[in-house]
Amino acid sequence: MLPPMLEAINLTNKFNSHVAVNQLNLRIAPGEIFALLGPNGAGKTTTINCFLGFLQPESGEARVNGTNVTTDAVAARRQLAYIPEQVALYPRFSGVENLDYFSTLAGRRHTGEELLTLLQRAGLPEEAARRRVGTYSKGMRQKVGIALALATEARALLLDEPTSGLDPAASHEFSRIIRKLAGDGVAVLMATHDLFRAREDATRVGILREGTLAGEFATNDLKHVDLERLYLEHLDA
Amino acid sequence: MILAIARKEFRDAWRDGRFRWAAAVLVALLAVALLLAWQHVRRTSADRAAAAALERDNWLNQGEKNSHSAGHYGVYVFKPLSPLAVFDRGLEPFVGTTVFLEAHRQNQAAFLPARDFTTMRRFGELTAATALQMLAPLLVVLLAFGALAGERERGTLRQVLSLGVRPRDLVLGKALGLGGALATLLVPVALLGAVVLANFPGVEAGGWLRLTWLGVAYALYLTAILAVCLAVSATASTARAALATLLVCWAINAVLAPRLSADLVQHLLPLPKLVEFETAIQQAMQEGLDGHNPRNERLQQFALETLRKHGKTHLEELPFNFNGLVMLESERLAGEVFDHHFSRLWDRIERQDRWMTWTGVAAPLLGLRTASMALAGTDFTHHRHFAVAAEAHRRDYVRVLNEDLMHNSRPGDHDYVVGRALWEKLPPFQYEPPPPDHALRAAAPGLIVLLLWNVGAWAALLLVAPKLNPD
Repeated sequence: MLPPMLEAINLTNKFNSHVAVNQLNLRIAPGEIFALLGPNGAGKTTTINCFLGFLQPESGEARVNGTNVTTDAVAARRQLAYIPEQVALYPRFSGVENLDYFSTLAGRRHTGEELLTLLQRAGLPEEAARRRVGTYSKGMRQKVGIALALATEARALLLDEPTSGLDPAASHEFSRIIRKLAGDGVAVLMATHDLFRAREDATRVGILREGTLAGEFATNDLKHVDLERLYLEHLDA
Repeated sequence: MILAIARKEFRDAWRDGRFRWAAAVLVALLAVALLLAWQHVRRTSADRAAAAALERDNWLNQGEKNSHSAGHYGVYVFKPLSPLAVFDRGLEPFVGTTVFLEAHRQNQAAFLPARDFTTMRRFGELTAATALQMLAPLLVVLLAFGALAGERERGTLRQVLSLGVRPRDLVLGKALGLGGALATLLVPVALLGAVVLANFPGVEAGGWLRLTWLGVAYALYLTAILAVCLAVSATASTARAALATLLVCWAINAVLAPRLSADLVQHLLPLPKLVEFETAIQQAMQEGLDGHNPRNERLQQFALETLRKHGKTHLEELPFNFNGLVMLESERLAGEVFDHHFSRLWDRIERQDRWMTWTGVAAPLLGLRTASMALAGTDFTHHRHFAVAAEAHRRDYVRVLNEDLMHNSRPGDHDYVVGRALWEKLPPFQYEPPPPDHALRAAAPGLIVLLLWNVGAWAALLLVAPKLNPD
C-alpha cells in the first residue's frame, strides 16, 4: 500500500467544551478519493480546516505527505489545493487573472496561454475565462477552483461540499474532473452530503457522527441503496 | 510572492470605482489648493516687496529732522513669505507680517492676515497641507479598511492562505500595493508642487532640501496610517467593523486630538496675557529686571561714572553730547529687558509647541503638523528668527541715530537736524531666512513622533499578521 498523502492520527479538535472531531484516524493514499459523509456539525469542515492548518488540533496530528500541519502549515499547504463550497474569487479580475494570481501565490508561474488552457481543461470556455468573475455562476467558480488545482499540480485535494448547489450537469462535469485528477495520483478528501456523488466518485466513504468516524467502507462493495441505509443506520446508532 | 500580492492589490485598488472617485477629488483639491496658494504667495510677496520699497523711499525722503526724532519716525519692515508657504501656511495667518521699528520699543509683529478672513475662511482654510493631513488619511482608510477584513468576508483570505502564503508576506504585499496606489496619486501632486516651487524666484538648494524632507514627513505619516488601517482590518470581525473603528480613529486624530492637546498644553503651560506681558516690561524698564534698581538711579550712576571716566565734573564739559550717550545706554538697558521678557515668552511658546508635538504619540497628526510647518518655514521658530532679526536691525538703526546725536550735536541744541546723508547710512532691512538645518532641528521632534508611530504601527501589524484568522 502507498504511503498516505493525507493522514489524520488520533486527530481531536474542540471548540470550548464541544468536541468537534474526536480521535479521528484517516489515511488517504495518492489516487484515492475519500468521501467524508455526515450531517451538519458532524466535524467534516473541521477536519478539512485541520488539514489546512486553520484550526489547531487539541491532540493528535494532521499530516500532508508526511508533513505535520501544526508544525509547518505553509509547507503542508503548498502540497494542497482547496475547493470550498463557494470558490472565492476577486470580482474585479477575470477568471484568467484570478487563476494567474492564485497560482503565482502557490509558487507556480504560467503563461497566459497556459492559464487559458488550464481553465478550458476545467471546463471554462475562453470567452468566460477572460470575463470578470463578478458575473460567474457557482459552477463557473468551481471550475476556476479546479483549474487552480491543475495549475498548482497539487498532490492532495480538499473539497468541502464542492457540488452543493450545482446543477446535475455541472455536478457531473465536476466529478469527472475530480476522478481524472485522482487517476493522475492526486489524493482527494471530499466532505459532502451528496450520497450519490460519494458513491459514484469515492473509492472509500467515511461516516462522521459527532466528530467520530462511525464507519468506513470501500465503495466498490456498496450499492447506492446500501450506502443510504448504512448512512442512516450509523447516524441513528 | 510579496510583489505578486502588491501588484494585485495595486490593480485591484485602481479598478475600484470608489477609490478612483475619492482619489480624483483629493487630487483636484490638492491641485486647486496648490495653485491658489501659489497665486496668494506670489501676490503677497510682490505686495510686501512693493511696500518695503515704498517704506525705504519714505525713510530716505522724510526730510531733515533731529536724529532722535527720526528714531521715533520709525520704519516698517515686512516679513518675507517662505516659498513653501504655498504648501503649508502654518502660523503665517496668525502671526504678524509687519514690524514697526522705533526707538525705545520692541514691537511685536502686527497685521495678522487672519483678521481679514471671512467667517468661512476662519473655520478652516484649504491648503495642500491640510488636505494631506486631514483628507489623505480618509483615502487610506477607504483603500485599506477591507484589505483583510473584506477578504475574510468574501472568503478569498481562506483561499489565499490555503495556498501556503505566509500571513506576513500577505500583509506586506498588501501594504506595498496599497502604498503604491496611493503613491501614484500623490507623487504627481508632489511633482506639481515642485514645479510650482521651481517657478518661485530665489528658491535655493535649501528650498529643495526642505521639500524633500516634507515628502519624507508626509510619507511617514501616511505609511503609519496605512499600517494602522491594515492592522485594524486584520483583526476586525467584519469590513464594516474595521471601517467604523478606523473612522473613529480618524476623527480622534484629525479633530479631537489637536483641540484636546492645545487645551491641555495651554492649561499646563499658560501664556501671559498681552496686558500682563507689556506691564511686566514697563515695570522692568522702570525698576530694573530685578525690581530693585530704578531707572533714574541707574542713569544717575551712569552719569557719575561717565564724568569720572573722563575726569570732568559737569556733563556739559564732556567732549560729546551726553544726551546721545544716555539714549544709547537706555537702549542697552531696554534691550536687556526686551531680551529677557521676549525670550521668556518665546521660549514658552516653543515649549508649548514641543509639548503639543510630543502629544503626537497619541495622534500622529500633531507630530506631522509641527514637522510640516517647520520644514515649510511657517512655524513659530521661523517667526521668532524673523522677529529677532528685525529687533537686531532696530537696535542697529537706533544706535546709528543716537551715535549721531552724541557726536554731532551739543546739549540743548534743539535746532540740530540731519538729512538724507544720515538716512542713507542706514541700510534697508535685508532678512535672510534660517538655513534648512534650522528647519530640520525644529522638525526633528515631529519627525521622531512619526517615526515612533511607524515603528509601533508596523510592529503591531507584523504581530497580528501571523494570527490572521481566515474566518
